[in-house]
Amino acid sequence: MKKWLICLAVLFLAGICLTVQAKELEFHQVYKIKRGMSLDEIMKITEHVQYTLFAFDYQSTGNVLFIDKSGGTRTRKFLRQRIVLGSNSLSPEYKYKDLVIFTQPTSVKGLGILTWTYSDPGRGQDQWLWLPSLKKVRKISAAQVDDSFMGSDFTVEEITARTFDDETFRLLGEEKFKGYPSEIDNKTYYKGRDCYKIECRPKRDPWYYSKRITWVDKEFGSTICDEVYDPKGRLYKTILKRYKLMKVDGKDYYPQIFLEVKDLRTGHKTGIVMEDIKFDQGLKEAYFSERTLRRSKW
Amino acid sequence: MKKVRFLLALVVAFSLWGIAISNAFAFEEDKSIVYKFWKKILPFDERLELGGFVKNETSVHLAGGLDEFMKMNNIIGLKTNYKITDWLEFFTYYRWFWDAVYTIEDRRYQNISFEDVNRKLRMPEKTQWLRECYFDIYTDRLDIRAGKQQVVWGTADGVRILDMVNPLDYREWTLKEYVETRIPLWMINIEGELLMDGHLQLLLIPDYQPNYYAPAGAPFTLRTVDIGAQAIDRLNQIPMFTVQTIDEKPGKQFKNTKIGLRWQNVIGGWDYTLNYLHTYDFASSAYTLMTLPAPGGQFTLRRRSEQIDVFGSSFSKTLTEGFLAEILKGWTLRGEFAYIRGGAMNYGYDESIIGTVDVDQYNYCLGFDRNFWTNWLFSYQFIQFIAHNKEDIPLAANQPRYTLLFGPTRGPLDKLTTMMTLKIATDFMHDRLKPEILLIYGFDNDWRISPKVNFEINDRWAVAGGLHVFGGDEQGLNGQFDKNDQLFVETTYSW
Repeated sequence: MKKWLICLAVLFLAGICLTVQAKELEFHQVYKIKRGMSLDEIMKITEHVQYTLFAFDYQSTGNVLFIDKSGGTRTRKFLRQRIVLGSNSLSPEYKYKDLVIFTQPTSVKGLGILTWTYSDPGRGQDQWLWLPSLKKVRKISAAQVDDSFMGSDFTVEEITARTFDDETFRLLGEEKFKGYPSEIDNKTYYKGRDCYKIECRPKRDPWYYSKRITWVDKEFGSTICDEVYDPKGRLYKTILKRYKLMKVDGKDYYPQIFLEVKDLRTGHKTGIVMEDIKFDQGLKEAYFSERTLRRSKW
Repeated sequence: MKKVRFLLALVVAFSLWGIAISNAFAFEEDKSIVYKFWKKILPFDERLELGGFVKNETSVHLAGGLDEFMKMNNIIGLKTNYKITDWLEFFTYYRWFWDAVYTIEDRRYQNISFEDVNRKLRMPEKTQWLRECYFDIYTDRLDIRAGKQQVVWGTADGVRILDMVNPLDYREWTLKEYVETRIPLWMINIEGELLMDGHLQLLLIPDYQPNYYAPAGAPFTLRTVDIGAQAIDRLNQIPMFTVQTIDEKPGKQFKNTKIGLRWQNVIGGWDYTLNYLHTYDFASSAYTLMTLPAPGGQFTLRRRSEQIDVFGSSFSKTLTEGFLAEILKGWTLRGEFAYIRGGAMNYGYDESIIGTVDVDQYNYCLGFDRNFWTNWLFSYQFIQFIAHNKEDIPLAANQPRYTLLFGPTRGPLDKLTTMMTLKIATDFMHDRLKPEILLIYGFDNDWRISPKVNFEINDRWAVAGGLHVFGGDEQGLNGQFDKNDQLFVETTYSW
């Protein structure tokens, strides 16, 4: 009898745990933050927005600005395309497939990176690199996500790899955002915006950051600002993320249009401007293959 | 012949028109006076893309006290791509060079005995300046690339195991990236999608070019070329005899078309290919025949090319899961294997060819790549070449025992040759400063060390500098250049 009672208690507790766990968001659906949502649900929505998981596919051109302390600027231009897959698609094992091809300057023109991200959070990404200087596709190790993203002040993790499962979260409060003074166009953004202030700590320890404080826009569920702290707990990097509301087939899409990061230790800044954003053009999954990388001529 | 000239003229005219228009496009962002001028006078079309560079490569001989130049190469490159429709594009890549060292350096290279080959070292010959020229046709399931191009197979770096589609230009040995030294061929390259990630590639290659080797007296003349040139010189000194060299090219019949097939797929994160190539052995030295003349006649040295079949496979996988990941997590494994059937090698003893035997070759490479400390790349390769002669090598009479001869040096060749490479690379200053070092080591104590530093000054200017240090026996792959250690500097302006 006692054994039965213990079993029932275990099942009951497991049931509670499953109910409390944040509901998985369906791809190709737009989600907004509602009153009463759990912190996990809010953070899942931020991931949904960051990787445009609300859309079927995404395309944009981009301009990366590397600005050193003295104001010297280098640029990179790229074309980015993504197809969102997931359980509603013919390839449920993939979360999304992503292709970035650099178009300027000539020294990096043609460099292409193909990334497959899997639905299983325990499975690492697969990445292929088209190297114009070798004229061949190379499988590369995607494990070093703490490396700089293409020489910028962002890490690979911040741009392409961070998922909900990589961090733990704590709500610090709800407040009006103080505003982020951009050092690239000298304007202040999001001043007075209603936000959740959330502390995110990486599960990996030691890691290149100890925590980040993030401000999540209550209206769209987007992360608008990050303050990143080094392993000793000192603020070393601030990030601004700007978005634009787009109407696509009657749905509200909210893609990133500008990212700005400043490394407080070196004074170096990186800006990424997204332009010509297009959604749901009917990109085919087969396009996100090595064959497309091999089309590169440069 | 007239038709060929007409077609060439058409290609050049079309490309020049492309360059002119795309120049205007390239200036668009600068909004300069030049841009405005071009925009006014030319039909502006944004379907044209243009890219190009001007580069100087200078190297000095370390043993020569740094005042003896080995190279002063000035290169202009221009690439144009015209998007005719959404599915049809036309691409050209022109590369012209002038290696001034053969004009101004009169101590070391004055004895290059053949003016025609000397000219080829100095600047491009015939249509060599047209590096690539092809049409691309894209459909959802089929890509066709027709024209002059290079095709790269395999996963190995700096070693040719499966990368056998195009011949190579060895004027600087293997110091430059293969992308710069592969000799492009006219071909049709069709790649079709049969499965979601499974692609079948078919190559039809009617064009033929042999490998190019620097002539005797150049900085990187292969030992085998030097020995051959000395022998010809000796024959030429015999009264009443002359020497004629004939390089036989395969006839332009359909039966001489080279064919390549590659199946490529991804299963469970493992990339693999199955390859087949019916081609020519681009190194024709193994098939050299000497015809002895009657007095007063000519020695005829006839070089021909033989057909070979290459069967192979390659794979690559980044280990993130599974039992292998428990010990090698984060490593990228790659490898390739080739069985070459129908080839031949010379046999004899050091420097002397006695005859030729049919040889099968089994070559493979295993590569292990991983980043440590965030952005320090370690890339290690283990390579073996196995030569198996299908018929016995005759016994030598009153001479040292005959062995197979190593093509590039005409030295004795072990049936099993093993070598390793290690490349370490990193970057600093937001990808601007990129140091790297390449170590190549053969088990016969043959080696090369090549440290290099690249620095990106801004979006347009870049400089690089480094060393190539060789060591080993003169019969070895790198040891033959033991006295050729060099310091090099490269400056590139790209637009």
